[in-house]
Amino acid sequence: MFVARSIAADHKDLIHDVSFDFHGRRMATCSSDQSVKVWDKSENGDWHCTASWKTHSGSVWRVTWAHPEFGQVLASCSFDRTAAVWEEIVGESNDKLRGQSHWVKRTTLVDSRTSVTDVKFAPKHMGLMLATCSADGIVRIYEAPDVMNLSQWSLQHEISCKLSCSCISWNPSSSRAHSPMIAVGSDDSSPNAMAKVQIFEYNENTRKYAKAETLMTVTDPVHDIAFAPNLGRSFHILAIATKDVRIFTLKPVRKELTSSGGPTKFEIHIVAQFDNHNSQVWRVSWNITGTVLASSGDDGCVRLWKANYMDNWKCTGILKGNGSPVNGNSQQGNSNPSLGSNIPNLQNSLNGSSSGRKHS
Amino acid sequence: MEKMSRVTTALGGSALTGRTMHCHLDAPANAISVCRDAAQVVVAGRSIFKIYAIEDEQFVEKLNLRVGRKPSLNLSCADVVWHQMDENLLATAATNGVVVTWNLGRPARNKQDQLFTEHKRTVNKVCFHPTEAHVLLSGSQDGFMKCFDLRRKDSVSTFSGQSESVRDVQFSIRDYFTFASTFENGNVQLWDIRRPDRCERMFTAHNGPVFCCDWHPEDRCGAARGGSGRVARMGAGEGCLRTCTAEGGPSPERRPLSVSWTSRRGWLATGGRDKMVKVWDVSTHRAKEVHCVQTIASVARVKWRPECRHHLATCSMMVDHNIYVWDVRRPFVPAAMFAEHRDATTGIAWRHPHDPSFLLSGSKDSTLCQHLFRDASQPVERANPEGLCYGLFGDLAFAAKESLVAAEPGRKPCAGDRRHPIFFKRKPDPAEPFVGLASSALSVFEMEPGSGSMSWFADTAERYALAGRPLAELCDHNARVARDLGRNQVAQTWTMLRIIYCSPGLAPATSLNHSVGKGSSCGLPLMNSFNLKDMAPGLGSETRLDRSKGDTRSDTVLLDSSATLITNEDNEETEGSDVPADYLLGDVEGEDDELYLLDAEHAHQEEPEYVLPQEAFPLRHEIVDTPPGPEHLQDKADSPHVSGSEADAASLAPMDSSFSLLSVSHALYDSRLPPDFFSALVCDMLRFYAEQGDVQMAVSVLIVLGERVRKDIDEQTQEHWYTSYIDLLQRFCLWNVSNQVVKLSTSRAISCLNQASTTLHVNCSHCKRPMSSRGWVCDRCHRCASMCAVCHHVVKGLFVWCQGCSHGGHLQHIMKWLEGSSHCPAGCGHLCEYS
Repeated sequence: MFVARSIAADHKDLIHDVSFDFHGRRMATCSSDQSVKVWDKSENGDWHCTASWKTHSGSVWRVTWAHPEFGQVLASCSFDRTAAVWEEIVGESNDKLRGQSHWVKRTTLVDSRTSVTDVKFAPKHMGLMLATCSADGIVRIYEAPDVMNLSQWSLQHEISCKLSCSCISWNPSSSRAHSPMIAVGSDDSSPNAMAKVQIFEYNENTRKYAKAETLMTVTDPVHDIAFAPNLGRSFHILAIATKDVRIFTLKPVRKELTSSGGPTKFEIHIVAQFDNHNSQVWRVSWNITGTVLASSGDDGCVRLWKANYMDNWKCTGILKGNGSPVNGNSQQGNSNPSLGSNIPNLQNSLNGSSSGRKHS
Repeated sequence: MEKMSRVTTALGGSALTGRTMHCHLDAPANAISVCRDAAQVVVAGRSIFKIYAIEDEQFVEKLNLRVGRKPSLNLSCADVVWHQMDENLLATAATNGVVVTWNLGRPARNKQDQLFTEHKRTVNKVCFHPTEAHVLLSGSQDGFMKCFDLRRKDSVSTFSGQSESVRDVQFSIRDYFTFASTFENGNVQLWDIRRPDRCERMFTAHNGPVFCCDWHPEDRCGAARGGSGRVARMGAGEGCLRTCTAEGGPSPERRPLSVSWTSRRGWLATGGRDKMVKVWDVSTHRAKEVHCVQTIASVARVKWRPECRHHLATCSMMVDHNIYVWDVRRPFVPAAMFAEHRDATTGIAWRHPHDPSFLLSGSKDSTLCQHLFRDASQPVERANPEGLCYGLFGDLAFAAKESLVAAEPGRKPCAGDRRHPIFFKRKPDPAEPFVGLASSALSVFEMEPGSGSMSWFADTAERYALAGRPLAELCDHNARVARDLGRNQVAQTWTMLRIIYCSPGLAPATSLNHSVGKGSSCGLPLMNSFNLKDMAPGLGSETRLDRSKGDTRSDTVLLDSSATLITNEDNEETEGSDVPADYLLGDVEGEDDELYLLDAEHAHQEEPEYVLPQEAFPLRHEIVDTPPGPEHLQDKADSPHVSGSEADAASLAPMDSSFSLLSVSHALYDSRLPPDFFSALVCDMLRFYAEQGDVQMAVSVLIVLGERVRKDIDEQTQEHWYTSYIDLLQRFCLWNVSNQVVKLSTSRAISCLNQASTTLHVNCSHCKRPMSSRGWVCDRCHRCASMCAVCHHVVKGLFVWCQGCSHGGHLQHIMKWLEGSSHCPAGCGHLCEYS
């Protein structure tokens, strides 16, 4: 059911991140070649590079889109210790005639003394905010007080994680019952560093972010972390890319039961853990409803994970990075080799899973 | 930092051993230089000048050259160099412009040998000739370079850089007479030491000061590897230099000069404030840039790594305290990084000219470090080789390092892959000039339309009816929509809702006939399995899963507690009464519409009563040019039609909260349970859908049922659902649906969403001045401002105008006009822009 469309990215070094915009019609890529490229989807589904520019003087690790309400805005972060905010300029120009758009740097965030490893815009309902994390273990949260002025960012919070940070994820929940929350993963490889995932929550009373939870079971370097889109759930789902793929649920314990003012307590369960990539897992990404998780690892494959009605997570498809098909369903006993077809067989996912046992 | 690994490298007879280590100096270092025996290092700074012995485990201070009671400015060193031929010979450059040579062989405590006070300003660099024992070169801030013969009291020759400050001077290793000098204005000059009048060649290497340069050391290795030999113009030179150094005797250790070189031997690396390291091929007539490395800070020092022809080490003078080793073929990512220093690194030196694994460095943080290459952190290894992003419609963008994607299947076999071997083609990439260069393959996996992509979401959102019709119709309509899209569980739910909340007498008889007559696919006996089948995939909202169900799991026993609720509900309906059960099954085909015509007529008369309450909405006169909504209906709307039938069905035995729905439902249903009885179940169902990620269902049901369930779900949860759903709708650009949802919501926080920023500031199309008052007539020119520029009629409804010239008109007219012309239809000559 997937059709692979290969794109000649023409980056001169590794691509480290790909990011779709809010509406899924634009895509940004960033690379070690210090540039960011923006791709627009044409009517017939082809992706065209409409902008490519040098953004940093080091590898660009991550690129991310702001909510379109704030304009066509990108943020990037780099090995050169900075994060930058970019805005697309509209207007009649030669660029436009050539099908190219023009992006200008609105700000450079230079607070980090080490490589900035991730940058993420906060959920829209929090306003125009972004968080960065850096290799020296500090998460910084910036806010643009005036959403019309993208060149003014004030550093609101600095959270020390004590560990070299590799990735962050905002909790996307728009519910008033869920205070702003950010999960931080670390790829610190020193042997004495233990838990690699920390969760910080904003406390309305102290107006500070405080550590709410530490996932003690994750002790291997974490490369990516992602909260699932919340969409009205009362609990949160967190995917972690470490030496395997892990999915946690965080159920807030009722506020009345906890002491007021303190951080929210969570019931944390690991609902899935997969080592099918056989090696490091580099990326995890949720679909927009938070029902399917895609992960990619050193085996060069993308694997799709989905829960069945028993809340039992299964592999529902494998996609090979170069577009060649791989038959899904490596999990189940009933193999259905359909090599040559271009269809990772998603429908097999639930076959034979009736003997559902919970992963824990 | 103290890593215990120890490395021994054998180099001919001698062997280097050591580990990553550091020692504290008394003061910040400005420069370091290594003795040719690779066992001693000299550290020089503003207030330090010491020689350390490099031992296996530590640095040992061997000699303090800074002697004498009062500190002299002559000892404030900007640079130091140890002669590569003579272990006893050192030279320092002082910040006051003095060049000092030191002879360690002197018996006295003060080892100072010669003092040259010819430069007017700071001497930035001193450099010994690589093969000549007595020739020393200096470069100063005053713009001059001077060549000294250590057997004479003053300089042999002076080279003028044309008043630009000299930052670095380096004798060529390839060419006996050539040296390179770099300048603050970005130029690099190549000089022949015999011709002090003007430089041989000059080129602009950098934007801003060039702080350093280094010749490629390949021919120090002695072997001309792999390159095509070329004969140098050499030979007559030695005599000439001797004329310069007239009185001097023949140098004792003159080495035979190599007369062939690989192309790399003419390479000069330069580093500048513009954060770049450039590698120049100066063996040809014009200096050619062969590589360019982008670093993250200004480059203060650059040193080629021995035995690794493409590697060079750099450090920066500010901001960045790390030392990087770059492979010039991969100019964006450092091959290695040493992060030991806490302040700017000022001097770097490879310990031995034939050993690539030991690097020494001095820093402003007053430490001297020995770095082992294998202890270096490797940013390349930590760099993420993949990018992955889920798109809106279920498409996936995936970028991966090509070597990962194209790996042979047996590389890291895993259970799944072994069972289903994978075949790939390795596509040769012509753009990959070096093996060391990495590149990524980018692809987008697109969902085929209709094959389970997110299009069901958009379709559902657009086709659902949420208000404006009787509840039963809404439910039926929505059930049909869901079924059309293959979402059977959702359809089932809508049907159930209809049965729960609407009077059973509305359509039972006809629908019974209907379903039987049509022989629809599911007969009564299949009832249970049918329900179960639909339930099974229910947790996911993805419909594609549904299709595979029918044949596999009709007999599955549902154990999951969350699903049981719904199952009970299903069973209750189906067992409780044949009539609605059949109806449930029969409600598939389009003919239902006819059947409903009867009811529909009937319903039409009462339609106003079905309008959902709108009291949450303030008046919107100023926004919409239509009369305000039928407020007079609101009172009635609070008691919808169905409540009538609810009321008379409300005669019921008190309910025991612990009874089993399944076992007694038949009787209960017969006696017509009030819909209130189900509201707890329905709320649970809504929560179930929300927890499963199908917030669309939760919100749609919430809106359709309105007051019937609203009170049972807390306000905060409702608001959460609404905001989530609206966000999703906006992602899919379903603005109309989104606005409808906002309008129909009863939560104050939501309904105010489309009350914000509803003001448009427009200009009058005649006088081009801002319209101040509301209405259609401009205050200033007293003409109607909203005339269509094409048909010259007043526009009511969609009005589009150009922000540049304020002219506009009917959307259709303007669109049509713009197909033919890009100028303003009003004839004002403006090139209108609509986006």
